[in-house]
Amino acid sequence: MKPLIAVDSITYTYKPNTGASVPALRKLSLQIAAGEHVAIVGANGSGKSTLARHLNALLLPDTGTVRINGLDTRVTAHHPEIRRLVGMVFQRPEDQTVATLVEHDVAFGPENLGLPPAEIRSRVQHALLTVGLWEHRQRPPHMLSAGQMQRLALAGILAMRPDCIIFDEVTAMLDPEGRRAARTLMKELHAEDITLIRITHLMEETLDAQRVVVLHRGAVVMDGTPQEIFRDAGKLQCLGLDVPPVARLADALRRHVSGLPENVLTVADLVDALDRIPHHTTSCHNPPSLSPSPQGPTLIESAGLGHIYMRDTPFAHRALKEANLMVHEGCAHGLIGATGTGKSTLLQHLNGLLKPQEGTLNVIGYPLHEPQTDVRAVRQRVGLVFQTPETQIFEQYVGDEIAYGPRLTGLVGAALRDRVRWAMALVGLDFEAFKDRFTFALSGGEKRKVALASILALQPRILLLDEPTAGLDPASRRDLIARLRTLSCPRGGPAPLDSGADRSDRPEMTLILSSHQMEDIADLTEELTVMANNTTVLHGSMTQVFSQREQLQAWGLEQPVVIRLADELRARGWCLPEVIANQEDLLAQLRCRLATPR
Amino acid sequence: MSEFEFQRFIAIGQYLPTESPVHRLDPRTRLIGALLILIAVTAAPNLLGLGVALVGIVGITALARVPLGYALRGLLPPLPFIIFLAVLQSLLGPAGDDMVPIFAWGPFHLSVTSLLNGAAILLRFPALILTITAFSAATSTTAIVRGLDALLRPLASLGLPAQDLVLMVQVALRFLPLLAREAERIAKSQASRGAEWGTGRGKLLRRVRQALPILIPLFLVSLQRAENLALAMEARGYRSQGRRSSIITLRFRLADGLALTACLLLATLVLLM
Repeated sequence: MKPLIAVDSITYTYKPNTGASVPALRKLSLQIAAGEHVAIVGANGSGKSTLARHLNALLLPDTGTVRINGLDTRVTAHHPEIRRLVGMVFQRPEDQTVATLVEHDVAFGPENLGLPPAEIRSRVQHALLTVGLWEHRQRPPHMLSAGQMQRLALAGILAMRPDCIIFDEVTAMLDPEGRRAARTLMKELHAEDITLIRITHLMEETLDAQRVVVLHRGAVVMDGTPQEIFRDAGKLQCLGLDVPPVARLADALRRHVSGLPENVLTVADLVDALDRIPHHTTSCHNPPSLSPSPQGPTLIESAGLGHIYMRDTPFAHRALKEANLMVHEGCAHGLIGATGTGKSTLLQHLNGLLKPQEGTLNVIGYPLHEPQTDVRAVRQRVGLVFQTPETQIFEQYVGDEIAYGPRLTGLVGAALRDRVRWAMALVGLDFEAFKDRFTFALSGGEKRKVALASILALQPRILLLDEPTAGLDPASRRDLIARLRTLSCPRGGPAPLDSGADRSDRPEMTLILSSHQMEDIADLTEELTVMANNTTVLHGSMTQVFSQREQLQAWGLEQPVVIRLADELRARGWCLPEVIANQEDLLAQLRCRLATPR
Repeated sequence: MSEFEFQRFIAIGQYLPTESPVHRLDPRTRLIGALLILIAVTAAPNLLGLGVALVGIVGITALARVPLGYALRGLLPPLPFIIFLAVLQSLLGPAGDDMVPIFAWGPFHLSVTSLLNGAAILLRFPALILTITAFSAATSTTAIVRGLDALLRPLASLGLPAQDLVLMVQVALRFLPLLAREAERIAKSQASRGAEWGTGRGKLLRRVRQALPILIPLFLVSLQRAENLALAMEARGYRSQGRRSSIITLRFRLADGLALTACLLLATLVLLM
């Protein structure tokens, strides 16, 4: 059978204005048959998006050929048909909307096909019904939530009736519920014989695919079923990738427990496998429940906080109501909730960017609800790292970018230099090697480090992070999590590489972060506040909050893998203590329960 | 109110789906009507005409169910420039032959005529801005594109790239709120690093200097955005030479005839006053 997509030994180099350039694709060959579901993974810069853009003739190869349904992408006359055959949903949905009305935006593609108005309307209706946005057809796209925007982008493609859809990291900005919905939608599309190609950084998402293609430096280095690919954890690590969280957990277990099969990729599989190994279910030596950790003084306290954006305009919408937050010193605090529940809005209140419209807010002793409060003093003590902060870099050199904040506080000369050096060490950038590098020439992961360092350079007492790992590849994510961990727990972590004087006056930093990745939250935080319907709905220790399985589902969230696994085992009659927070806890508990230790 | 909500000052180009009678008109009617009023306001010879125009425009804004307060807020950002122009016109404009200047000093002089001219500026610019605001609130970009396309089609045969021009308008309108939001994001991130944004402090010069770090990322981000948008449009089959169709069917009804007549009357009235 003729493949739908045939990529034959293509090479492609981006042509920058200056300097030598590295090829983005080198002699890459790939064939995809109609009806396949393929996941493409690879570290940042491995050529995934470049490849995707060759598949619907947005880019043309320097050498080699790409054929879609037998049509060569080099022939311009083929482009309309190729673009109808292969639709592409990009990472940032707001960059894909063309019109100011939802239904008109979906109509854009069919309009380009030159279809009659009646046909366009019926296709628009069908596409909007498929993605569940029909009742929003008369709204402006920028009033939709992130998940809805993403579905709108998909509807725009569906209305063109494509044979194949490419999803370019579409779930990176979505909450767990949004990811679940996207996953269900993709399964439905695949059932309708649409060929799916999805590019992703989340390894667990590749498990739905029949085939995983791994790219490295512009070439295919692995190609097989998810089971085949994830067998080689070591090789994936070298490629800047990872195995899914469950597989990582299974690998750790395998070191202590015999009889665990290879290739356990889902929680259900792991539970089944463990359940088959002989074990005690009754004898239960629970460790004494941990006494609540001594809490430091209260740093942040809010009561009845409310905020309405665009107040007194036709676009007014409420982002926050009756929000209560309490954060103690020295404790990493997580903020979770579906998209559009007000997490970012709440974070922006905490360093005085947004002023409370309703309620009270005290941050390190500053009453921010009172108009006379010195907001600037608060901002210097409370640093906020925005979502995708790398897009806000404005200086030409790395050193200047990081020095911007401290310079405004009046720091000059050697003191400024030391401060920049200190901040760069904290994020793992070598001062001498990086200070004179051009900011625009850095990789995505490096840029994010620079952005983080530029806030750390202010030596804030509280560090606010909004979705710190969104869009990072697995290696960069691992690295960032480890860095943040040393920041929040300076006692246990390795000391940063700096002079003794700096270390002694190193401030205690309290972390507050929001994330859609529950694994990040489990790795980093001790306390959690859950947001739903624009207010705070639950507050507690990380393990307490994550034990509320049904509630979390209802809020559009999910449990981290370790806690989900412990829950499933309990349901099978395993007797496990209530407090299992991380992999180490779980391993310790399982080792003494499995009858066949190594 | 937050100092960072740049978006609230952008009333131009923001579509408001209020489904008013104005929204239901044929896009061509709305385009030609708006054009007639814009021409009349630009050419209006005196204050009385401009006053009539303003009343008419406010009436249309109400008919389109666009909240007046919201429309007026769109005047705030350009207001300093308008006042500056009006003052300049009053002090430096032609004094009029028949009048004795009330006040004269070097090149500056003030007379009844020049004062009237200054006042005309104060009315003319707001009238223009309000017209565009009401029009764009009542006309989705797709409708603008459809209407312009139909009106400019005769020109396409003369070699004018009508479709591309129309699309440029659409993209520009869509970019306004996007840029405002991006500027907001960047200003906030810099305020978090100690810049004097939204603290109500700082000398003017210092504030201007701090606008620079916003402009650079804003420029880069908009380039990036434009590139992404171009890619997405191409991926969805847009070609500059291709023949497009539209979801909107054009239909010229009785209401359109009435609306056009009303606009024509208003324009004539403004010019003849």
